[in-house]
Amino acid sequence: MLSDLFFRIRSLFRRNAVETELDDELRFHFEQQLAKYINSGLTPREALRRARIDFGGLDQVKEECREARGVYMMETLFQDIRYGLRMLRKSPAFTAVALLTLALGIGANTAIFSVVYGVLLRPLPYHDPAGLIVLHETTPKVGIVSVSYPNFLDWRAQSHMFSKLAAVETVEFNLAGVDPAGADQPENISGAVVSSDFLSMLGVRPMLGRNFDASQDQAGTAPVVLLSYPLWQSHFGGALNVLGRTVALNGRGFTIIGVLPPDFRWIEKTDVLEPIGLRANAPDFHERGDRGDVVVLGRLAPGVRFAQARAEMEGIAARLEKAYPFSNDQFGVALQPIRDVFVSDLRPAILVLSGAAIFVLLIACANVANLFLMRGAGRTKEIALRIAVGASRSRIIHQILVESFVLAFLGGLLSLALAFAGIRGMIRLIPTDMLAGANMSLNGAVLLFTCGVVVLCTFVFGLAPASQSTRPDVQSELKESGRAMSAGVGQGRLRDILAIAEVSLALILLVGAGLMMKSLYRLLSVDPGFRPDRVLTMNMNLRTAQYAKDPAILNFWQRVLDQVHQLPGVEAAALGTVVPLTGNHSRNDITLEGMALPKPGSFPHPDVHLVSPGYAGTLGIPLQRGREFTDADTENAPPVAMINTALARQFFARQDPVGKRFMFGHPSTERAPKWITIVGVAGDTKLYGLANPARLEVYLPFRQDASSEMTLIVKSGIEPAALASSVRYAIASIDKDQPVFGIATMRQLVNDSVSTRRITLILLGVFGALALLLGAIGIYGVLAYSVAQRTHEIGIRMALGARREDVVRMVLAQGAKIAGAGVLIGIVASFGLTRLMTKLLFSVSPADPATFSAVAIVLGLVALLASYIPARRTLRVAPMIALRHE
Amino acid sequence: MPTQHVDLPQGTLDLLILRTLALGPQHGWGISERVQQISSDVLRIQQGSLYPALHRLERKGWIKPRWGTSENNRRAKFYELTKSGHRQLEVEQDAWKKLTAAVAQVLGTA
Repeated sequence: MLSDLFFRIRSLFRRNAVETELDDELRFHFEQQLAKYINSGLTPREALRRARIDFGGLDQVKEECREARGVYMMETLFQDIRYGLRMLRKSPAFTAVALLTLALGIGANTAIFSVVYGVLLRPLPYHDPAGLIVLHETTPKVGIVSVSYPNFLDWRAQSHMFSKLAAVETVEFNLAGVDPAGADQPENISGAVVSSDFLSMLGVRPMLGRNFDASQDQAGTAPVVLLSYPLWQSHFGGALNVLGRTVALNGRGFTIIGVLPPDFRWIEKTDVLEPIGLRANAPDFHERGDRGDVVVLGRLAPGVRFAQARAEMEGIAARLEKAYPFSNDQFGVALQPIRDVFVSDLRPAILVLSGAAIFVLLIACANVANLFLMRGAGRTKEIALRIAVGASRSRIIHQILVESFVLAFLGGLLSLALAFAGIRGMIRLIPTDMLAGANMSLNGAVLLFTCGVVVLCTFVFGLAPASQSTRPDVQSELKESGRAMSAGVGQGRLRDILAIAEVSLALILLVGAGLMMKSLYRLLSVDPGFRPDRVLTMNMNLRTAQYAKDPAILNFWQRVLDQVHQLPGVEAAALGTVVPLTGNHSRNDITLEGMALPKPGSFPHPDVHLVSPGYAGTLGIPLQRGREFTDADTENAPPVAMINTALARQFFARQDPVGKRFMFGHPSTERAPKWITIVGVAGDTKLYGLANPARLEVYLPFRQDASSEMTLIVKSGIEPAALASSVRYAIASIDKDQPVFGIATMRQLVNDSVSTRRITLILLGVFGALALLLGAIGIYGVLAYSVAQRTHEIGIRMALGARREDVVRMVLAQGAKIAGAGVLIGIVASFGLTRLMTKLLFSVSPADPATFSAVAIVLGLVALLASYIPARRTLRVAPMIALRHE
Repeated sequence: MPTQHVDLPQGTLDLLILRTLALGPQHGWGISERVQQISSDVLRIQQGSLYPALHRLERKGWIKPRWGTSENNRRAKFYELTKSGHRQLEVEQDAWKKLTAAVAQVLGTA
């Protein structure tokens, strides 16, 4: 096959040489034959005559030899390409519209595919990722939760289905002192504390330096760190001599022992890695019930299937549940292939958008096919003539397909520019933490995809016109196009069908966009339980040694509050652990005084916030009963708490909770209970996303349970972002090495919490608008062409007394028929397809009648407009001119 | 009585060319002469079909051209059998033998 191609190509490029050789060869034969006849005694004249008769037509023989060598196919291909380019140049309007349409359709697909590839398809940069499993614990109260480190140790000791298990704890660090001059701002960076096996399980090797070893899993190991490639570049300028240098993390010196490779990725952003031995003395590594931020990575043993590993782990979890009822009651284990952990958030949106992009492409192809048909209609006479004089049908189809390919190819080239801009736009839209290090670009795989789409397009929009052009029998075609009466019936129907398809596809896309728009609107109208306007938030985490003791922590927070309160423009300020919509809150079992004791796993398990006085007021959380905390609720005052409405409703149905008491944990005979008095009830807030139901919440005064990690919230009379630098400055005046991070307005946080839906809406909206535009062009094109073709007929009608309104109505009716059929088909198809996007919708039914009818009306109006323009053109038809037409 | 020419059945031209070249490299004219000679003038190859066939066989890689000098010192294009040409010859010979045997059998019993 391949050698055949080379042979043909050689024949083509050595054309002159091959021709000369052919001449020589045939002449030699001729002369031999001639000599033979002369030798046999014929007269030279007679010999020449006989030799010529033997030989037959010389040119014909040559022609057949060329054909036998396969020169033709290649040569005709080039001819057809040249011819195609000439045809495109000859009708610039057709070419421009077709190219633009294709570029939009192909570009949309290329851009979306770059996301599909980057997020869903690109292989993770690990050795044999199919065997990597991520393990979490599960509890019916919360769902998937972190793994308790003692449980991890038991899993590792008892499991046989995994060849290795490693613990990975996500942590954050204060980074300071990289610059010896001390000129750099303190920073908050993210990292992971990992078992020494972690990197080797992934098959990742440091590009500089070395990996951790098993001794570094033990307590008391020296502080060492591996840098990520980006951190190495940004903070150390990629210097090769970083190994052995120290870097200050949380005020402690860590020796750099290596640098990770550039393509290293983990589920969370990871700037540094530390060995797990450094955390071995932390309380959550000893308390089974204290679940920190550990996930477990497992490598399946050879030949073990996912289901077997799951069955084994479930058995182990059940045994641990029996052995440790207080910490493990109802705790199970969840296993996920590592691929699923990386993509779960964006996946439904990406799949819906891929479908939408394909629809846009189909509409674009239908449009171009229609354009081809219309132009082809002018060429049917030419083609019929060529068939009549002996061109084979396959030759003509070949030529039309090559012409389509040339168009698709140019469209594909143009689409790359659009895709490039589209990808940059999308990168800006998608929050980086949702991408988990996935990168989207016009890489080889994406370009290959684009090539595939180009070839596919060639056939999708090329075959219809190709088969159509050669189908009708030559006679009637020659006759019909001789007079310009009306379009061929078959062609007209095909054009109508294509336009109907465009309308129905556009309707599906618009319905999808409409449903998303309504969902987002509904979601943003959900009462979050707080007022996000003019509130600025920023995080601080006190990790250095000077904040080891509670009084130092409380002193720092108090000074922050005092300083910020005095800043001009500040209406209110408060501190709280993790504001709503931003992350995981700490949770704890509570026991209400006097309640019937449930079984160990069924205690109320509220989210616990530590807040300063004025927190609820600053965030605009309504106070339902009792009071907020005051400056009097200090570490020396009696312990108090606020609860939220959900907790009050569930456990104090008919009573006033104010004055009632509860304690953290479960009653025990060993310790005297530490009762906390409820002093107020606050409204529910949407802690984990606007779409999620309210949860049980407990608020404690920050002075009664010191937390080193707090979020500062500032309500301002002015644009809140404008306050950021003065607040930062105030904090630096208290501790210049304390990083402030995650600066955002509450409004931004609300918007970020719906970003998946917003991106989907924006892209679906863009696709829908494109579809509407292309669909309108489709209808317009069909009608404009049909009016042009029927000028003669219209002239006759008017000459016979038809009124202008009748003629206009006739054209509009044709448009309405197309639009109506398209809308009907589209609605039926949408009912089936919108169900696929249920996951992305919020409090809107996938068959929402309002959305469906609104979209149908919009499409109907656009279709009417698109038909009206060609319809009006009939008004300009003067009967006499029309009758003389052609 | 003059020699009676027989028209070549479809598909046998390739076989004849390959068989002739199996005896050694030969130019086009030589091939047609050789076939005519061996068949005692019964088979005649038309030039109009010989050369396209040679070019087709060359493209299939069964024969290979080489410019050389003819018996009368003229520059001529010689063809020789390639390895895959030898294999093809065996295949076609087998097929031909089966065909003729079968045809003979049918004729014999009818």
